[in-house]
Amino acid sequence: MSYYFAIVGTQDNPLFEYEFGTSKQGGDGQARFAEQARHMNQFIVHSSLDIIEEVQWGNGQMYLKCVDKFFNNYVSCFLTGGNVKFLLLHQPTNSAGLPGSVASSAASSPSAAAAAAAAVGSRSSTSIGANPTSPQTEEAVRSFMLEVYESWVKTLMSPFYRANMEVRSPVFRQRVAAAGRKYL
Amino acid sequence: MPPPFDHDSPTDPIPTPPAAASASALKVQKTRHSVPHGLSLSRSEVSLPYRRSHPSAASLYASTFSPPGSRSQSPVGRRPITSRMTSGSVFGTSLNNALAFASVASDNPGDPLNLILRAFVPHVAVYTSEDTDVLLKEKGFDRGLWELLRPFGERVHGKVIVRDSIGSSRTYEDYSIRFVRFGEGIVHPSQNPAGFKNAPVSKANGFPEKSDDPEKGAAKSGISIADVEAVVDRHLDYAEESFFGTPQSPTDDGLDIDTPSLYYALYLRRLLSGLPIVPHETFAHPVACVVAISSRNEAPIETLRRLYAESSLGDQRLPNWVDAEFLRYYVLVHDEEKDDITRSMSLFDQMKRNLGLHCHLLRIRGTQSAATDDDSIPLPRSEWMSASEELADIRRSDNHEDFEDPTRYIFESDATAIRTFVREMVTQSIIPTMERHVSVWNDQVASRRRGLAGRFAGLTKRWGFGSGSRSSTGPGSGSNYDQNGFYRQDAPEAIMRKLADYAFMLRDWKLAHSTYDLLRSDFNNDKAWKYHAATNEMAALSLLIMPQNLSSKTRAETIDSMLEAAYYSYVTRCSSPYGALRCLSLGLELLRLRGGSSVDDAAKWGTRLIESRITGPIGDALIKERLAVCYASKKGVGTQAWGGRRRKSALWSILGAETWLAQSKFIQAQRCLNGARKTYSDLPSGNGIDKFSLASALMLSIGQQLNQNMEAADRDDDQTTENQSEVVDEESEALDMTRGRRISMHGLSGAGGTNSLETAPLRSQMENSEVEKQDSGEAKDDFG
Repeated sequence: MSYYFAIVGTQDNPLFEYEFGTSKQGGDGQARFAEQARHMNQFIVHSSLDIIEEVQWGNGQMYLKCVDKFFNNYVSCFLTGGNVKFLLLHQPTNSAGLPGSVASSAASSPSAAAAAAAAVGSRSSTSIGANPTSPQTEEAVRSFMLEVYESWVKTLMSPFYRANMEVRSPVFRQRVAAAGRKYL
Repeated sequence: MPPPFDHDSPTDPIPTPPAAASASALKVQKTRHSVPHGLSLSRSEVSLPYRRSHPSAASLYASTFSPPGSRSQSPVGRRPITSRMTSGSVFGTSLNNALAFASVASDNPGDPLNLILRAFVPHVAVYTSEDTDVLLKEKGFDRGLWELLRPFGERVHGKVIVRDSIGSSRTYEDYSIRFVRFGEGIVHPSQNPAGFKNAPVSKANGFPEKSDDPEKGAAKSGISIADVEAVVDRHLDYAEESFFGTPQSPTDDGLDIDTPSLYYALYLRRLLSGLPIVPHETFAHPVACVVAISSRNEAPIETLRRLYAESSLGDQRLPNWVDAEFLRYYVLVHDEEKDDITRSMSLFDQMKRNLGLHCHLLRIRGTQSAATDDDSIPLPRSEWMSASEELADIRRSDNHEDFEDPTRYIFESDATAIRTFVREMVTQSIIPTMERHVSVWNDQVASRRRGLAGRFAGLTKRWGFGSGSRSSTGPGSGSNYDQNGFYRQDAPEAIMRKLADYAFMLRDWKLAHSTYDLLRSDFNNDKAWKYHAATNEMAALSLLIMPQNLSSKTRAETIDSMLEAAYYSYVTRCSSPYGALRCLSLGLELLRLRGGSSVDDAAKWGTRLIESRITGPIGDALIKERLAVCYASKKGVGTQAWGGRRRKSALWSILGAETWLAQSKFIQAQRCLNGARKTYSDLPSGNGIDKFSLASALMLSIGQQLNQNMEAADRDDDQTTENQSEVVDEESEALDMTRGRRISMHGLSGAGGTNSLETAPLRSQMENSEVEKQDSGEAKDDFG
């Protein structure tokens, strides 16, 4: 299970990007996206903004759950008050426990997901990693998002921060990483 | 010259210009003829490795290729822009309608709905006597009457009135039928039974069997996706080679929502043309059979009887899952130049007395028409030739140096006569017969199954009374499904399927859908998976074509499940990827046309299609491109265009560009990339994807690769022109040294000296083109 987390500003500009892997089931927290296809994450996340702009009006929540799917990539979204979007792209690994459809989609995904999946092998299996749309995963992602949101708000309070500025704070990055380790 | 023999010309004035087959095809032909002789005479020599020295082969590619200068004259360009898209259903699930369907479909030949309407049309077999073949051969048609008639079936001239099952009649301007050769294209179910299969497909009626007869391949296995891909690939290559010699890159246009790209339209058309005769769907089963003799026949009535007998009893008869009770339409082909009309008239009267009213006297001239004759018109090339046939044509043009222009010419009087004949046959014989069949079958077979009693009857039959032998599906256990994988033609299931297909071909969507819907469960119970898949497919399509609104709930419940069932059955149970591809691509198109939230569904199926990997590389790229268009056709609301899918569309454009680039189809790649750029730059944020570093780097690299390739080609070209301007009088060896890419064609085109002589007068034109090239080169730079 690999994650790509992006915070997107109001002008479709990324404010913060972070890639990490699962830490559950003995994962080492490293993202395993195929090197030659890492740009796909950005394309996918960017394209799912279309869906978010539609979904956000039909839902009172800030956490929009899983909004989009692109082959084997699932995108969850959390919307902040300032129309800044937290987007988490998760790519389940191609493990033996998965239903055939997911496995085949991973194999045929043009983003070379198969390569990434094969690298991780069959280590992660059940719970969060296996099924991106299950309630457990949704809950885990919600907790992750909320924690990131908290740190985000604190970061924004910096007097030197202006809207839509990229966030380079190492502290914030650490906190996101910690939240990722904790919940995902 | 005798006047044309027109039965009903007062009621049906037939204009002299050949409007019949399709005006656009003729347009294309005109531009085509201007190509080899005018602008690109030298260029086609210089830049077309395939073509070598016969520009006439350009006609093979007329359906997609138009000279770059005359882009606007190409058939698609002429169409007025109709805004079919309903505004987005995003905020509220409004407007999911299909009203736009009926109105838009007719005029654009590449329109997917139009393609569907014209793909599933009544098939008319042609079965001729030997003397007719001889007559037609003298006229220049080696493949007989069928070859002459075929283009005229593609558009029945004038209005065709069809009465549907509830008695209301509708008028269609664009009705068409398909002429096929009798007994061709039969594909037997896979578990081949012993009984009928040995009916030889060979022609008993005097055709010489050509070894490269294109239909042979098709007859064995139905339509092969590989053939379709190969055809489109050849077209793409041809365009690629042609455009690289040209001054400006013809790739300025971004996404065009209303008209599909020529190649995609071609892909779909080839996918749908040459439908084989299979048990699980009856579209290709003959609705009627033209039985023709010529006026030279010594014993006409006996010959007709013999032909009839052969077509229904003899070696030529169709397998027992094809209804043999189709209409026989008797035609007497009269040779205006050699034979006596009074004799033919009396013979024709005799025919009418003996054989009933389904007769026609077709008066044509027996000699071959040349292009130079005053009253000759080019016979349009058939739009609906099968992929394997077109591929064979293209291959032949590659292999033979002396490939001649395949365009045939006929006399205008002949065209008028045939048009009248086709129209009369369709309106007076075929349509009424089909209507009658539909109503009879509907009353006698289908209505029994509708309603409560019918369902119970079906159940009791199915479950038996305590026999417990439900699991076996052989005959005798209450199922009509033959173990060999088909229903006999007289089984109620087969008749109902035929009823539904007839209704579909008569565009009575409602009846068609309800019948398909009944059949779905039957086939499921019988485990007739191929039937099941085909029926689900057509049920979904007929429901989608029906001009009525569908709520998103019904859509999710019915259409999705039907498409899913069809896809699953085709792929997993029958391993028939062709069916799955056809089903999903047509489903995609129809869903897309509905607009609103259906677009998302359409995209879902498109993604599914890509995921399944049943297409080859060409189809893959075309579908990606199509998905971009599909998403782009969902418009948002308000100034921010909320609910649009522009970013998605751009993403798919990029993916398409990547795929094209990998296949060295630079023009297509450039088109996709430009589409993506345009879409991104139209985004309200104004940033596009620029802020995402990796993604925008990818776009840049695609653009750079394209520029490199294009420039390499351009440089080749510049060198060519420079060299040619220097060495006009020299031999072409200097050229051979300097250039890699075009050497081969020069070498192959043989006469190097004449080449440079030919190009010399055009030098000024070339220089102009160089300037333009540089301009476009500069314009291209700001991609990067």
